Amino acid sequence: MTVADPATLLLEARALSFHRQDEPVFAPLSFQLKSGELALVEGDNGSGKTTLLRILAGLLHVGDGELFWRGQPMHRDTCAGDVLFLGHQLGLKTDLSPRENLHVAAGLHGRHPEKTSATVLADIGLCGYEDEPVRRLSAGQKKRAALARLLLLPATLWLLDEPYANLDRVGIAMVNRLLEQHTAEGGAALVTSHGSVSFHGGEPRHIRMHA
Amino acid sequence: MKNPGLANACAAMLRRDLTLAWRRRGDIAMPVLYALIVTMLFPFALGPEDSLLQRIAGGVILVTILLSMLLALDALFSSDIEDGSLEQLVLAPQPLALMLGMKILAHWITTALPLIVATPLLAAMLHLPAAVIPVLLLALLLATPLLSLLGAVLVALTAGTRRSGMLLALMLLPLCVPAVIFAAGAVAAAQQGLPWLAPIVWLAAALVLAVALAPLACAAALRIALDA
Repeated sequence: MTVADPATLLLEARALSFHRQDEPVFAPLSFQLKSGELALVEGDNGSGKTTLLRILAGLLHVGDGELFWRGQPMHRDTCAGDVLFLGHQLGLKTDLSPRENLHVAAGLHGRHPEKTSATVLADIGLCGYEDEPVRRLSAGQKKRAALARLLLLPATLWLLDEPYANLDRVGIAMVNRLLEQHTAEGGAALVTSHGSVSFHGGEPRHIRMHA
Repeated sequence: MKNPGLANACAAMLRRDLTLAWRRRGDIAMPVLYALIVTMLFPFALGPEDSLLQRIAGGVILVTILLSMLLALDALFSSDIEDGSLEQLVLAPQPLALMLGMKILAHWITTALPLIVATPLLAAMLHLPAAVIPVLLLALLLATPLLSLLGAVLVALTAGTRRSGMLLALMLLPLCVPAVIFAAGAVAAAQQGLPWLAPIVWLAAALVLAVALAPLACAAALRIALDA
């Protein structure tokens, strides 16, 4: 992956809003995200945090307003492979092992040139569980197996919906470390979370959601 | 950044679904057992009269296999929707229609192929003449992928609705009528010693059309299902 110029504007939303049955899910939002930046999406339950991430990932269509990716109108084809989404549903097949799940993900999305599934699984703290079916893992270990994708796949923008849920204290510190590494390498991330985020790589941007 | 390439992505998808099916290989045997039991019921219900069973054998086997395939069709996309794999698939930088085509192919290999392998046994149970069995197998090799593809479109359309199994059957069975007519027509013609190639060619033409269009329809339907 080429390390981007630190000032590159990656994502820009202009008066973005979304309606469900003519009811606005959240008030119009405008924000920018440059490479090397982390944005925390904050808001109460039901304020549309997950909806926002699903829109940015391209799973939901944009209601009103505009969305730009690297200066181009954001569309499936302009950002394909550059955006990695991790939602409440982890996208793991429970009959497959973490290693097999990673192989499938790498087969579909490609992989970081200098990383392999073995090193990634060791980094994420699943040493010894690489070949255990995911259904036998604990909730926190499942989360780690899904987070391993962040390390292996080559994506610039991470959209993480509650990445800290189910993780122990070591796991939370690990997610923070992953975010620091990613932003230091010129990536960007949008993170929703209820918990406290201690991010050492500079002040994160805050996106406040209002219903 | 390195794109894995289309061939790699297709292989990864196919390998994933075949591995998953192999881990639950008990499920693969279910449709075959169902087809065996249903076929066994006919001689009991109609009496063991050779000429009658021979006359209906082709049609009975076709309809039995169609219904057996319906049993497994429901699960084609549902587990992927539940665990979020489908979201990841939609977001992958690969043509979704092609990836879904691979899923349908894996589904055909794990449900229809075992049924086709068991067909000579079903034919023997109904005293179908051995000379007709190759025609029956050829008709099934063309008709079953057609059913898988049509079924996949309907599964994608009903994705997200609760208790979609019955709805699926009600929608799919009428669409299967042409496939059943042509497949049964070929078998009946072969039984009477008449030329049977024309209905087979019709089946092949319908299959080509479905291979080209059904994955696209599936992709569009599933994108809509997720966008809700």
